[in-house]
Amino acid sequence: MRQLSALLLGATLVTAQSAPGVDANRLPSRYVERATVRWASDAEGGAPFVFADPADPSREVGFEVDLAAAMADDLGVRFERVQTPWENLVQALDRGDCDVAINGLEPTPERRRIARFTRPYYVFMQQLVVREDSAIRALDDCSGLRVGCLGQSVSHTELLRRGGVEPVVYTESARSFLEVENGRNAAVLCDLPIAVAQLKLFPRLRAAGEPFGRDYYAIAVRLDERDLQLALDASVARLWHNGSLERIYRKWSMHNEAQGEIGALSQSGGEHGQVGDAPITDKESRTGSELGLLLAAAAKTIGISCGAFAIAVALGLALALARQFGPRPVRWLVICYVEAFRGTPVLVQLLFLYYGLGQWEALQMPAWLAGVIGLGLNYAAYESEVYRGAISAIPRGQTEAASALGLSGAETLRFVVLPQALRLSLPASTNDFVALFKDSAVVMVISVVELGKQYQMLASATGRFVPLGLLTCALYLAMSVPLAWLARRLERSLDGDKA
Amino acid sequence: MIEVRGFMKAYAGRTLFAGFDSTFERGKSTVITGKSGSGKSTLLRILNRLERQDEGTLRIGDLEIPANLPHAEWRRRAHALRRRVGMVFQGYHLFPHLDVLQNVTLAPVRAFGVDPRIAEQRGLELLSAVGMDGARDRRPARLSGGESQRVAIARALATEPEALLLDEPTSALDPRSTEDVVRVIEGLRAKGLTLVIVTHHQELARRLGDRVVEVGAVGDSGSLHRL
Ligand SMILES: Nc1ncnc2c1ncn2[C@@H]1O[C@H](COP(=O)(O)OP(=O)(O)O)[C@@H](O)[C@H]1O
Ligand SMILES: [Mg+2]
Repeated sequence: MRQLSALLLGATLVTAQSAPGVDANRLPSRYVERATVRWASDAEGGAPFVFADPADPSREVGFEVDLAAAMADDLGVRFERVQTPWENLVQALDRGDCDVAINGLEPTPERRRIARFTRPYYVFMQQLVVREDSAIRALDDCSGLRVGCLGQSVSHTELLRRGGVEPVVYTESARSFLEVENGRNAAVLCDLPIAVAQLKLFPRLRAAGEPFGRDYYAIAVRLDERDLQLALDASVARLWHNGSLERIYRKWSMHNEAQGEIGALSQSGGEHGQVGDAPITDKESRTGSELGLLLAAAAKTIGISCGAFAIAVALGLALALARQFGPRPVRWLVICYVEAFRGTPVLVQLLFLYYGLGQWEALQMPAWLAGVIGLGLNYAAYESEVYRGAISAIPRGQTEAASALGLSGAETLRFVVLPQALRLSLPASTNDFVALFKDSAVVMVISVVELGKQYQMLASATGRFVPLGLLTCALYLAMSVPLAWLARRLERSLDGDKA
Repeated sequence: MIEVRGFMKAYAGRTLFAGFDSTFERGKSTVITGKSGSGKSTLLRILNRLERQDEGTLRIGDLEIPANLPHAEWRRRAHALRRRVGMVFQGYHLFPHLDVLQNVTLAPVRAFGVDPRIAEQRGLELLSAVGMDGARDRRPARLSGGESQRVAIARALATEPEALLLDEPTSALDPRSTEDVVRVIEGLRAKGLTLVIVTHHQELARRLGDRVVEVGAVGDSGSLHRL
């Protein structure tokens, strides 16, 4: 595959050089006829790429919005944006959801397996950002500390390559900066343009040390659309030479000396073939580490699910009892609690708990703990309804027999009603516990890398959605199947005679 | 001795009995008969404080429970009364999550603080008295009706009551099981336990009762009268 790409690339160079400006510069006719190029990007990634205008959130702005507009102008077609999660941009391209992906993509070897890249349109470096009052001056000062980054970015790769620090992965730049500002993370490593844009919004943060490294943003197109790539190459070159690119970069405070390379690269014609090329990691040796990563993430999923369910059971039981036997105001409070937690998305609850309450120092907690508590509070609402139903299903004769024997109300509850109610609620409760194992994947929104997120990251990075997906499913099943089995055994032992 | 003076109980526009007096002598057995719906079960439930009478006074020994007691005081006295009066329900109401022996020892251990080992020993004696000592480890779901009823009797006796109330103890049983249960009740009577037995089995009434009281049919005066 790689060899084939290299061959095609070679062919590209030849074509580009031998027949300059004829077909190569022109947009393929299928696009001219459609008069539209669909370009994918993720508006969630934040400034300065593509993001909602803070002054008018219905408008999308960003240097790539300007770039797309300039290319549309240059090529004489419309550029229509398609919202796509950043992690899945090249896959969306491969599937045909869009024609090009323009969203700060580096032509990494993994991505090159799935997509073809144009010549670079921007040269970027890495910048470390810390709190104003921090003593950190460079990445070397961060060993053992938490450092945020965007998942699957150059920054992420850099942090993993260096080792020593604990990378914390985000899907959104703003959040990774917020976590430095509130002190959860020591620093954030990001592309320089992101640092420039975000530092305007976070006055208590500062750049630490000089920018370093050198990587390139390029436009991704489908592997088999060499003609489109050539047309875009030519367009990028024209925009560079007529100064449009520089104007855009100056507008977004992104222009610097390094951008001179774009011209050089453009002029040298196709040298971009080597740009960003890194030795491709041996696939075989990676499978082992992928399994290791998934297993570690599965352990996290188990920990979070078990912790959350313990909270759900204890709190759910207390809520059910309060609802059943408490005075009227307490009953109303419980009803409000249950409806509030059942009636709103757990995703929103987690974001609120972690980022919302995290604004106050005293309420800050590690992400995994926020996940455990958030899921626990949410599932407690469901469990309380399960237990309430089970309690009211215990026949009146049982409580009457207990009181006739002289048991007090509390004793009746503890020794007669609850043991039977818990047995009754076991199937529904088990069902919820199994569901929780799957639902716990939602904690990825607060930067916890559990099994679901680990799969997403690995699969997006390697494009191996199917084998990794099957492996991930197997891991989930390895949690839920024994759980269901244990629950059935427990049910039987509760039902059975000792003899 | 249980004494009932001027009892009245009414449900939504319907008076079950009014001005009812009766004395259940210590060591004597009273059989209560009457048509279905005449209030027999209700009377037993009042005697065991699962319901409150609307008028009248219940007295057991020195413990007096008039109608219209403040709730807290009523509960205190009801609890004291239940130590002295045991109840066997028409539908047994055994605890399905406990085995037979645990059913018997639950109240002594949990409500009256009896040492579990002593309660167990006493429980086994009671079970053997009702012929159920072989079933100590079985769950109620695996007992027949007659067996359940005998366990229910043992359970009610475990708190050592002075009187035992039995609501139609044989109504759901086949003749053989009925005979087993009746023998058990006869044994209790011989030991001098005060018994109040609801049944509409004529032969049983003669066999088990020192006297028979019939509850008036629905629609007539509604009073429980002595024969
Ligand atoms: N909780 C109650 N609410 C309303 N009516 C009741 C209640 N309990 C019993 N009754 C009525 O009182 C009458 C007597 O019931 P019960 O004492 O069970 O009769 P018996 O045991 O003699 O068949 C029945 O007609 C029943 O409808
Ligand atoms: Mg009845």
